[in-house]
Amino acid sequence: MSRPTASTSSAKDGQLRPTAAAAKAREPMNVLIVGVGGQGVIMVSKALASLAQSKGYQVKQSEVHGMAKRGGTVFSHVRFGPQVWSPTIPKGEADILVALEWAEGLRWLPFLKPDTGIFICDTKRIVPPFACLNRRPGAPLRYSRETPAEVRAQVAEAYAIDATRMAEELGNERAANVVLIGALSTALDFPAGDWEKSLAQFVPKKTIAVNLDAFRLGRSWIEEARTNPVVTEAPAAKAAALAHVPYSVRLEITPEWCKSCDICVKLCPERCLRLNAERIVELAQPEKCTGCRLCELLCPDFAIRVHLDSAVVAIAAAAQETKA
Amino acid sequence: MIVDSAAEFDVREYLRMEMMPHFLCPGCGHGIALRALLWAIHELGIDKDQLAVVSGIGCAGRLSAYIDANTFHVTHGRPLAYATGLALARPDLHVVVITGDGDCLAIGGNHLIHACRRNLKLTCLMLNNEVYGMTGGQVSPTTSESRLTTTTPLGNAEPNFDACALAAAAGASFVGREVTHHVPKLKELIRSGLAHPGFAFIEVLCDCTEIFGRKNELGSSAEMVLRQKSDLRPSAYRDSVDTPFRSNDLPTGILAKTDRPEYGAAYRKAAAAQRASKAAKASTGANKGKA
Amino acid sequence: MNAVEQALSPKAALRLISGNHACALAAVAAGCRFFAGYPITPSSEVAERLSQLLPEVDGVFVQMEDEIASIAAVIGASMGGVKALTATSGPGFSLKQENIGYAAGAEIPCVIVNVMRGGPSTGMPTRPAQGDIMQSRWGSHGDYPIIVLAPASVREIYTETLRAFDLAETCRTPVVLLYDQVIAQLTETVDLADAKDLRNAERKWASGPRETYQPYATGEDGIPAMSRPGAGYRVHTTGLNHAENGFPTQNPEAVARNLGRLLTKLDRHREAIDSWQAIGCADAEVVIVAIGISARAATRALDLARARGVRLGLFRPVTLWPFPETALREATKNARAVLVPEMNAGQLSLEVERILGGKRVDAIHRYNGEPITPAEIAERAEALAKEAR
Repeated sequence: MSRPTASTSSAKDGQLRPTAAAAKAREPMNVLIVGVGGQGVIMVSKALASLAQSKGYQVKQSEVHGMAKRGGTVFSHVRFGPQVWSPTIPKGEADILVALEWAEGLRWLPFLKPDTGIFICDTKRIVPPFACLNRRPGAPLRYSRETPAEVRAQVAEAYAIDATRMAEELGNERAANVVLIGALSTALDFPAGDWEKSLAQFVPKKTIAVNLDAFRLGRSWIEEARTNPVVTEAPAAKAAALAHVPYSVRLEITPEWCKSCDICVKLCPERCLRLNAERIVELAQPEKCTGCRLCELLCPDFAIRVHLDSAVVAIAAAAQETKA
Repeated sequence: MIVDSAAEFDVREYLRMEMMPHFLCPGCGHGIALRALLWAIHELGIDKDQLAVVSGIGCAGRLSAYIDANTFHVTHGRPLAYATGLALARPDLHVVVITGDGDCLAIGGNHLIHACRRNLKLTCLMLNNEVYGMTGGQVSPTTSESRLTTTTPLGNAEPNFDACALAAAAGASFVGREVTHHVPKLKELIRSGLAHPGFAFIEVLCDCTEIFGRKNELGSSAEMVLRQKSDLRPSAYRDSVDTPFRSNDLPTGILAKTDRPEYGAAYRKAAAAQRASKAAKASTGANKGKA
Repeated sequence: MNAVEQALSPKAALRLISGNHACALAAVAAGCRFFAGYPITPSSEVAERLSQLLPEVDGVFVQMEDEIASIAAVIGASMGGVKALTATSGPGFSLKQENIGYAAGAEIPCVIVNVMRGGPSTGMPTRPAQGDIMQSRWGSHGDYPIIVLAPASVREIYTETLRAFDLAETCRTPVVLLYDQVIAQLTETVDLADAKDLRNAERKWASGPRETYQPYATGEDGIPAMSRPGAGYRVHTTGLNHAENGFPTQNPEAVARNLGRLLTKLDRHREAIDSWQAIGCADAEVVIVAIGISARAATRALDLARARGVRLGLFRPVTLWPFPETALREATKNARAVLVPEMNAGQLSLEVERILGGKRVDAIHRYNGEPITPAEIAERAEALAKEAR
């Protein structure tokens, strides 16, 4: 992990740190803030935009959140500098990418400047419904499998922070975004006191104290991380271990109770049931059954019972059957 | 989707196995509603010995016979009245009423509004299939307008009842509605109703596939269940979307919940206070006598 | 000392009390802990009195939304194992009939007070009548057994209410207390000193393992043991025809077996059920058969007639249904004729004619709200005696 080759000698109040070349001082600072609806992406960008504005910069803040609702993807472009023309950051031009959710962070990585971009990311995982297309129990999620180490290798400077847990420990999980602001603040040259003033305007009054704590925690964490890199456990690997509890699905059908109403056959999401010659339900394609229980729940005659046996039990049972 | 609580809930533990299979028609929504009720009972850990199920007459009324509990299949329209006596006399029991739209709203309508008003701890599960199924498919108080039944050959011209609005207006302290298609949600609603410390009225929209569905050409059992999904307006939608929901426009979920004194407890408290005050007077009197 | 103990203490044993209040007091003494009712003249005092008494003994009083709900709640309470009572009058009694049939068929003990007033329909709410004699026996549809007690005095209302609960519990049947408006609202001096010695019967409760328990087993005495909810038996109770296991059946043998037992179950308990009073019947030329206020008038008529040299007897069924047939035959075997004065257009006389087939049975029928007087009865009986000589 290398620090941006920033010259601090010429830095005066309000000037940006990543100013490797004097010419670059005319360029706007590009900060991309991303996350999932409900996490506080917009609040982070507002705090930053308001602070930059107060320092006399031109600021453009552009965001998409209207269609996102809670749980959908949300992003906000914040650009500020002596002169800003476009409201959005082109690919490969972001100085800093702040991600409040792990996969959202990875989604936006191509926007970072390849050589100098700073990636600040919460390791929080919010798995979207579309990552669960395969309903089979134990099936792997279609969620990013990259480990923080792998990500770091591709980015000039990257910080994977377990901000949600840190905020939780402070007593309010919702302050995770402010932990990230704390981290972000170390990459910009605004004084900490001004950050805190700006924050106080945007958080609910009752939560000012916890948010200031969160801000300071984020700041100190990143200072510590710079000198003594924190090894963050791979979030993807951790989650995968949870999702991979192996099940085998077994349908127990009571044929005498089945009245051939066909509800299970027609409503099975995998279409793996059918009525046999006697018009009694049977599992036609066991390999497709995910054990979702819809057939069991909707059977008016209680004729189906879904068993999600652990693989070990299932193998043993199969062996027993073979013996018999 | 893995519903954890569903994994350890085996409905057969709550059924009278010697009575199975039940007598309901293929595809009848009542069976699904019965599962949701038993699932909620299971989740709440209600002891079967302390569970009393009182049911009226009709398809819904017959369900009590399949439940492994203290079950009472009483007269047409009267299960709420029987249950009132039972629950007042035995506050230790968990009393659930299973009734149908005709049983509850037509012949038993008076008992419903007064049970709502009285607020005795009871859970009333009204299975609404819009028809008198047991008697062959006559019009009921909840039959939608223009529907065909054996007694409305020209299509039903009478307006129908919104049972939940009726119960709420009569003062029911818990009112909810759900469809059989959403079994886990239905279970959750019933569970909330069972846990409610007062009178809980729950309407379950059930499909009568063989009689009402056939007469009105509503398709197969599966199609009828699926239509619930597309027809209904979740209460959260309010008035923001107005098509393609069904014309009678019934919101689902918990529709009313108020905190009112439970009648049985209030009665017993007043009685105990009266006894205490009489005892105090008697002892004062006795002391005076001695002096 | 609660209200009941107070009422029955030696000091209070001699009381001036109305019929309806005596009924309420006896109900509590009998162990009744639940009353559900609906206001109706002339029975409302039973409800009013119990609304005061029941809370004192940790019982429950509830005024329901209608007559049907009242009987339903009473049966519901009894299904829960609590002795229960309701009180009504003609129109309410009519409304209760379906559920009385349920209690009879499902064999749920309960007591129904029916204070008879003029009819049909709303009739004369404040005037006496005896028009529910047949309805009390046959009011609900289908065949079923029922016990009807017809007290004729305030004291007898007290004692018969106690007996009504005992019979309801021991025979698992609804019991109707049938008395007329005059006695209901009559206040008279009553000596209750020995009334507390009457037994206070408990229901036969199920015992033994659940696996072998049959809720409608035939048993030795025809009365199946009942299971109390919560005791672990978890049985089904239904108004549908059912088999011994309590579940509905249409199997002809099973229905015949269970209904056969039901319809004859009271026969084996007639000794406890039957009750009547016979005065001067042994040498009577004419025996008067009457209940309630008409029987009271007849008692006076006996004296009037004997003073004029005509020997009259009185047979008064206290248990009206099942009718004490054998006792009636015995009481009238020497009589030349029988006279039935009753405040209706002819109900008790039909039953008496049926039992005494061939014997001359005459009747005085009155349905204008005016009780039949002793003089009228004496005059008619004397004429009858002379005709038959």
